[in-house]
Amino acid sequence: MAELYPSLAQCAIVATAFKILLFPAYKSTDFEVHRNWLAITHSLPVKEWYYEKTSEWTLDYPPFFAAFEWLLSQAARYADPAMLVVSNVNYDSWETVYFQRATVILTELVLVYALRRFIKSVPQPNTHLAHIASLSILLSPGLLIIDHIHFQYNGFLYGLLILSIVQARKQSTLLYSGITFAILLCLKHIHLYLALAWFVYLLRAYCLDPKSVLRPRFGNTFKLGVGVLGVFGLAFGPFAHWNQLLQLKDRLFPFSRGLCHAYWAPNIWAMYSFTDRLLIQLAPRLGLPVNEAALTSATRGLVGDTSFAILPEVTKEHTFALTFIFQVLPLIKLWFNPTWDTFVGAVTLCGYASFLFGWHVHEKAVLLIIIPFSLIALRDRRYFSAFRPLAVAGHVSLFPLLFTTAEFPIKTVYTIFWLMLFLFVFDRVAPVAEQQRIFIFDRLSLLYLTVAIPLIMYCSLLHQLIFGLGRHEFLPLMFMSSYSAMGVVGSWVGFMVVYFAA
Amino acid sequence: MPPPMSSSYRPRKKRRVPPSSGTNNNLILDVGDGKSLPAFPLVSFLWAARAGVSTWLVLPLILMAVGLFRWAVGLWGYSGFQIPPMHGDFEAQRHWMELTIHLPMSKWYTYDLQYWGLDYPPLTAYHSWLLGKIGSLFDPSWFALDESRGFEDPRFKVFMRATVVVSEYLVFIPAIINFLRRYTRMHGVPVWSASIALVAVLLQPATILIDHGHFQYNTVMLGLAVASLDAILAGRMLWACIFFVGALGFKQMALYYAPVMFAFLLGVCTFPRIRILRLLCIGLTTIAAFAVLFAPLIVEASGVEAQEYFKDIPQPPLLQTLPFEVKKDSVFYAPLFQLLQIVHRMFPFSRGLFEDKVANAWCAIHTFYKLHRFDASLLQRASLGATLGSILIPCAIIFRHPRASLMLPALASVSWGFFLFSFQVHEKSVLLPLLPMTLLLSGDGGLSKETRAWVGWINTLGSWTMFPLLQREKLRIPYFVMTFLWTYLLGLPPTSLETYRSRPSSGDSSPAFEPNVLTKILHFCFYLAMIVWHVIEAFVPPPPDKPDLWVVLNVLIGAGGFGIAYLWCLWKLITQCWKIDRKAEEDSQKKKQ
Repeated sequence: MAELYPSLAQCAIVATAFKILLFPAYKSTDFEVHRNWLAITHSLPVKEWYYEKTSEWTLDYPPFFAAFEWLLSQAARYADPAMLVVSNVNYDSWETVYFQRATVILTELVLVYALRRFIKSVPQPNTHLAHIASLSILLSPGLLIIDHIHFQYNGFLYGLLILSIVQARKQSTLLYSGITFAILLCLKHIHLYLALAWFVYLLRAYCLDPKSVLRPRFGNTFKLGVGVLGVFGLAFGPFAHWNQLLQLKDRLFPFSRGLCHAYWAPNIWAMYSFTDRLLIQLAPRLGLPVNEAALTSATRGLVGDTSFAILPEVTKEHTFALTFIFQVLPLIKLWFNPTWDTFVGAVTLCGYASFLFGWHVHEKAVLLIIIPFSLIALRDRRYFSAFRPLAVAGHVSLFPLLFTTAEFPIKTVYTIFWLMLFLFVFDRVAPVAEQQRIFIFDRLSLLYLTVAIPLIMYCSLLHQLIFGLGRHEFLPLMFMSSYSAMGVVGSWVGFMVVYFAA
Repeated sequence: MPPPMSSSYRPRKKRRVPPSSGTNNNLILDVGDGKSLPAFPLVSFLWAARAGVSTWLVLPLILMAVGLFRWAVGLWGYSGFQIPPMHGDFEAQRHWMELTIHLPMSKWYTYDLQYWGLDYPPLTAYHSWLLGKIGSLFDPSWFALDESRGFEDPRFKVFMRATVVVSEYLVFIPAIINFLRRYTRMHGVPVWSASIALVAVLLQPATILIDHGHFQYNTVMLGLAVASLDAILAGRMLWACIFFVGALGFKQMALYYAPVMFAFLLGVCTFPRIRILRLLCIGLTTIAAFAVLFAPLIVEASGVEAQEYFKDIPQPPLLQTLPFEVKKDSVFYAPLFQLLQIVHRMFPFSRGLFEDKVANAWCAIHTFYKLHRFDASLLQRASLGATLGSILIPCAIIFRHPRASLMLPALASVSWGFFLFSFQVHEKSVLLPLLPMTLLLSGDGGLSKETRAWVGWINTLGSWTMFPLLQREKLRIPYFVMTFLWTYLLGLPPTSLETYRSRPSSGDSSPAFEPNVLTKILHFCFYLAMIVWHVIEAFVPPPPDKPDLWVVLNVLIGAGGFGIAYLWCLWKLITQCWKIDRKAEEDSQKKKQ
């Protein structure tokens, strides 16, 4: 086998050099969140972890992540003990910054390992495709923006996700896939969005006989049950023992938040809100009834508040129902066709459904779609043409996370660099589809791509030049959000077609 | 489960053109049974671009990638950050913007000289004026006259960093791209190797650290000098003059290159036959370029107000030493005053032999044998003599053999001569000899082990000698990252020993391209010294009576290495010249037959 260049390690080294240079870059409140967790886990007994509220950034990740922070805090002692004091709110000495940023880089090695496993798991003639997809994930602008500037540990978490997906490839490692995913759930519960896919796949491919649904394999079921329950028991057992589960539930699932996040994630609800706002302008002419309360409401979208002036209100139940329906559809196909490719497709579609219809979706959650999708984007050209608008829209929609001028060139240039490089390379290597491609969809996705550059130009530079600083600021945000929403929805529809046609 | 494969599945045709066996290769190691390996990591990064990929894709990607590293270095500290009252080079540049946009030109070179008085040539002043005007559009308070001294603000820092990047992308980078394209074509180097050399040149750590970390606009001057070199390759001598005057007019440091340029242009007019007309054109163009450069300042100085202004302030010393007397009410007084004041500001001969600790001969000698005891004028003459002595041979060679392909080693050896022996050298001046030496990577066999080893070694040493400066400005981490990254990409120590390992199996690489034993020992000693020095500097405090001991050690090692680099460049120049001569002789003999 010809080795592929640049290798994963080489890219990781150069990317690390760049990430180290980003140490002094802007960091969001998430940096303080994680520092606070380091302090909480280090200086308080486990019993008090989920009760401590000196800082407003209380611990709201599952127990394993708290344990992970505790592990890090053991090393943090040697960097700067002052960061481990709970009352030291907003503490950011350079030692603290270097330490925390360095831990993000180091824990990302899990991702590198998972990607290596992924490349090795792909059979011979397609290894180069897996290699390219892996590089695209390793160098993803999403991870760069969210982890290394904004500050989070997604590289590590997505590493585990990919590891679990890779383990699902072989019958012999299916059990480990389930356990890894359970661990991942106990690290960050956002992955619950994808859990149904694992549930269906493991049930069908591991617990039941591949030939007949009616013949359960008890041995396998037992192993998986013990493994998964063991993981959950380890994570939540102590808290159950102390009767803290209700408190944990309140911390992990704070339902007092609104439908849309502060910056609209590019999903259906963003489009819905956008339509509502358009209709407010048109209402007098069309003679539509306007809900005055929504117009004057300053908070717009907190629970118990009306957020839509003309369109009907959306409740949590609606979002759940929609999410569930659109998750179940692909899972039905997975049930009847439990192959690895269908599984990854179903994972991706579960990500789509929860991102597009979920309640209070964060724009960062778009990685939940992009990363599993990257693994199969190179299956053939139809997959790739559904992936293309997502790659553009998903990454562009992350731009509002960084609003400082110094980081503006980094986020834009890096994203354009990545898009140019990988869309070109993908385009060159993606194999021809077996089935006829959907002509019109191809063209639309290309058109969508070409709009991106003038739009980014307008939103980041021209708008300020035309209207001056700080005027009509919502306009570019709204354009970006709607544009991205169109991309994500378009790619979702496209991928649904590809998925069900395959 | 393997993905389903059907008969209709057909992978796209991969255009695998065999890598051209031309020169400057040795990039692909043949390990037998059809396998090939990239020779060093940078080659792997461009592995996919070996064939069939348009430059229109590769070039923007390269420029974006190197731009990202530049901007990321810019996130770190700069010279004089939060160090009142004088701050540093960042403040100097800001102050020049402030003063050029608020004051009439007649006052540019005389206004409050104690606080970062303008001491760069006119092009820098115009450049500052332009940037000041642009910056005022964003926020005029950044440049409020006198009020804004020591101004620091994150938004303003972004603006300043952006000006460096934009200036570099408008001048240095186009110049380098054009130069490399022409130079590689001249040497028959494949486009792919040229791209690799381009990345290596653009990621050169010392230049990035000084311009984007420490804060200066050296790349503008270097870019103009490279543009001049490019014009020479293209045979456009007059453009070469204009660009070179531009470089000189931006930063007087470009004088390091001037003797070679002068010798070359004179040589072109003398050999193989004397061409008076050409000489005349070159001379006139140069004079005209200088005239245009100074014209706005001189014209402004002839105004009535400016004349009054110049009468009342102390004369520059140069005006007093003129052999003839100029009356204060003469029409020529003000323009002459202005001109001589600029020259006086640019060449501060009244300062000492060297400033701070710099890795050149004088500072090294001073360590063992104090030079204070000598008279300043004697030292000046000694320095002048030594410099002239060191540059005489390369200049003579270039004069006798004015060939474009000899320019790089000649420029490198002459600027090493200047750096080692001339007066008032800054540690940052090391960028001047480093650039032509690094450009050698793009030449015939430039990416072979031997050249790569030498160029890499000198670049590492160059940025290492700037470590004391960078460390003061909290640029320690960017220094390590950029230097390690560059050495890693080029497969050099301390990250890899591959370059120094000989591979007898690879048939095509001739022994001439491998570094010889002496080189290996020499380089290893230096790398070892640098590593040991870093360890000592980090963990061992210097003895209390010699607080500068580590810096002095750095200077001594650096000076030694630079001296060797000077000799190597000189040797390169001589051997290349000899090779060309012999080839020319053979050709002429063939013709006779």
